[in-house]
Formats: sequence, structure tokens, C-alpha cells
Amino acid sequence: MSSHAPTGLMPADSASGATLHTIVAVMSFLACLALGGVLTLSRLASEWTDGLSGSLTVQLLPSPQISPADQLKEAVRLVSQWPGIFSAKPLTSDDAKALLEPWLGDGKALEGLPMPQLIEVTLTPGQQVELEGLARALADSVPGAHLDDHKRWNAELAGFAASSEAVGWSVLLLIALATFAIVIFATQAGLQTHREIVEVVHMIGARDVFIASEFQRHFLWLGIRGGLIGLVIAAFTLIGSSFFWDGRESPVAAQYLPQLVSSPLYYLWLLFVPAAMGLIAMMTARFTVLRVLGRMP
Amino acid sequence: MVRFENVGMRYGLGPEVLRDISFSLEKGSFHLLTGPSGAGKTSLLKLIYLAERPSRGAISMFGRDIASTPRDELPALRHRIGVVFQDFRLLEHLTVFENVSLPRLVTGEDESHFRAEVEELLLWVGLGNRLNAKPATLSGGEKQRVAIARAVVAKPELLLADEPTGNVDPEIGARIIRLFIELNRLGTCVMIATHDQRILERLPSTRIFRLGEGRLTTGVAHDHLLSEGKRA
Repeated sequence: MSSHAPTGLMPADSASGATLHTIVAVMSFLACLALGGVLTLSRLASEWTDGLSGSLTVQLLPSPQISPADQLKEAVRLVSQWPGIFSAKPLTSDDAKALLEPWLGDGKALEGLPMPQLIEVTLTPGQQVELEGLARALADSVPGAHLDDHKRWNAELAGFAASSEAVGWSVLLLIALATFAIVIFATQAGLQTHREIVEVVHMIGARDVFIASEFQRHFLWLGIRGGLIGLVIAAFTLIGSSFFWDGRESPVAAQYLPQLVSSPLYYLWLLFVPAAMGLIAMMTARFTVLRVLGRMP
Repeated sequence: MVRFENVGMRYGLGPEVLRDISFSLEKGSFHLLTGPSGAGKTSLLKLIYLAERPSRGAISMFGRDIASTPRDELPALRHRIGVVFQDFRLLEHLTVFENVSLPRLVTGEDESHFRAEVEELLLWVGLGNRLNAKPATLSGGEKQRVAIARAVVAKPELLLADEPTGNVDPEIGARIIRLFIELNRLGTCVMIATHDQRILERLPSTRIFRLGEGRLTTGVAHDHLLSEGKRA
């Protein structure tokens, strides 16, 4: 690609430019929403799996061989001393009741039931823990103790997150392909209105690469500007929805959905969308102009 | 400078619009190309300014055989040819100054190198006060003079003009012809395609090419006028 100072050969504003701006802005908006969705799902998946893989639960079922107090004391001692364990915190019976309330309701239903004692175990980040050995040690030393490492939950959540992410990427790919086709079509339509310029400049002795570089520069900025408009609208939409869920104090959204406003840097990836729009428009303009010129003597 | 040998031309699969055209243009010469509408004057000019390819025959420009010249060397040859198009073909979004500067800009020349020359040229064609005007605000005669200034700004060795007086009143037409004569005196080879009898009357001893039914005959303007008169 040749580089030279811009000559102002291309009109700064034209009806075709406005149309292309609008089309690129709309496609950029959709691409940003799709990419935002994929990024959110990806972050969601990693937060869920990170959260689960960083913790364990020890259940202590009532056993005739050991008193509940000794059972708890022994289990906490054993787990706390195990390599790679950051903390082992017993849950109170009120905490355990609170966990069961969503399924069994509050009050009398729980009173007659033997409640298992629970120990919430936090792993030291970045350190390997020999979980099978810990499970064996607990079973051998503390009657009624059972280690739950959330493997099943973890695998199911990871599978769900991965499949959702795959769907998100597929949607993004489809939008990217549609964007590619539409931007190419709109760029070619825009070029038709400037055919006169191509012909005149060709006849007065301009080289093909000179003409192509004038056009590609013009369409690069046109694509980037349209892409940025779409990005800004998409950002407002994503941030707006984030505030909307925050405002409703929705427990589901607050607990499980990552909030866009709390991690704006994560969404810097969205800046790739206007850059891609600019590149698509630029390359389309270059190849189209070179093809048109190639048909001329 | 320009040599055509048995050149034929057709558009696509259509009939030949030019047949067995042979002629040559020498440096510093002045020619008129005439013939009725649709005779092929514009097509012949297009072949000369390398906007079309011949379907047969040989064309040589500035000592280069066009058929064997690589495509990426053609812009350099085009740069040695100035063209005044029949419909001016000015770029509407550019000013008069920018339109005239184009042939210099497209070669990568910096504006500071030619600004004074372009201003002087526009003064010469009587548009020194319209540098920043857009073509839409100009009269037909003014547009024609901008087109002429653009055609000569790169100091071409060959100047082609397609019906340069077709869209202007007689006074402006006479002025334009005086401009061409002046350029020819400076050493530029000029060829004007026209069916304007007044140009032939003003230049009676000029070598003339007459196109009729795709074939070319030569003579001088005076004889051509006489034969046209007899026919009438």
C-alpha cells in the first residue's frame, strides 16, 4: 500500500457516505452487543468455576461412634492442617438452616430433622491440594465425615457455561459474516457514486495504487466513525442494562451476573469492533477500486 | 509522437466504429478532427489518450508501442497528454484551484512546488479571481477554461480537446481557440475534435482529419470548407 499525503480527492460528505455510516453503525451496534454477551458469558463461566474450585464443603453426618462436638473439632483440626488449605470455618446451625430454607421453608419442618454439621473450607489460591488423600483421611479419622469438592456441580456449570459461550461465539460469527457482507455491499454502492472520480483521475495519469490508497483512506475513516457510533450506542445499552438490574436489586442478577460497570477494562475488547469495521471498509474499497481500474486500459 | 497504423476499434462485440485508421502527429503540430456526430471523433480521441484499446492495428505513442507497454507504465504516458473532455469532467467537490492542480497532485508532487504556477495559469485563462470557486458556481465558458487549465498544467506534449467550443458562446469559443494557438506556439502538439465551422474558418490552413463512417481522410481546413460548401 502506498502512502502519501491526502489530496482531498474524496468528498468529505456525501449521501452514500451517510448511508454507509448508518449501516456500519447498526452492524457495529449488533456486533458489540454480541461480543459483550460473549464476554459476559465467558466471565460468568470463569467466575462460577473459580468460585467453586476455590472452595470445599465437609459434611458431618450424625454418628453413634462420636459426639457432634468432637466430630466437628476433629474434622476442623484435620482439614486446617492439610497442605494447601487456607481456612476451615464451621457453619452454625442457623447458617445450615438458612441454606435449607429455600427448599424446606422456615420454622417447624426443620425442627425435628437431624441437621448435618457443615464446614466451609477455602483453598489457598494457586496451590495444589491432594483432595483424595484429604477425603480418605477424613473418612478414616472422623466417623460420618464426607468431603464434597463440588466436582459434579463444577463440571455441570462448566459445561453449561462452555455451551452458552459456544452459542454466543456462533451468534457473533454470524453477525460478523453478515456485517462483512453488508459493509462490502454498502462500500461498493458508495464507490459507484464516486466512479466519475476514479475515471477522471485515471485519465489524467494517476497510478492505480494512488487512486486505491485515496479511496481506502476515505473508507477506513468512514468505517471507523460508523463503528464508533455503534460502539457508543451499544456501550450505553450494556451499561444501562447493568444499572437497570442493579436498580431492581434483583438477587439473581446481583449474585450471578457480572456487572459491566464494575469491570470496564474487561470490555476494552469491544474497541476491536470499530477497528474491524474500518478495516473491512478499507480493504473492500481497495479491492473494488483496483478491480474497477483493472478493467480500464 | 503519435502513430496509428491500420487501427480498428469496436466496443465489445459491436460493429467496428473505426476502420483502418492510419495517421501520425508530429511534435508542435496543430490538427483539427472533424466529421458528423457519431462519426467516431470521441472514440479516436479515446484511443489517443489511452482510454480504450484498439481491436486491431498498431498504436505508437512517444516512441512506445502501446500493445507491448506494461499496464503500469501507461500512467506515465497519459501524464504527457492533456485532455479537455467534451463534458469538462470537473470534480464538483473540489475548487477551481484543486481541479487544476490534480494532474500535479496525482504524481505525488507537493502543492508548494506548483501553487504559483497554477495561480499564474488560472490568471492566463482569465480565472485568477475564481481560485476557490466550486464548478457548480461557474458558467459553461468558465468551466471550459478550468478544464483547459487542468489539461495543460502538467505541460503535456500532446493536447487533445473534444468539442471545446460546443458549450460556449462564440466570443468565449474564439478566446478558447486563441488559447490553443498560443499553447501550440509554445511547442505543444494540439488536436481539436470539432464540427464547429467557425473554428475551421478561423484556421483555414490547418491540417484536418475528417472522419466519416469510421474511416479517416486528411486535408486542410480550407479545402474541407470548400467541399462542404459545394455539397450544400
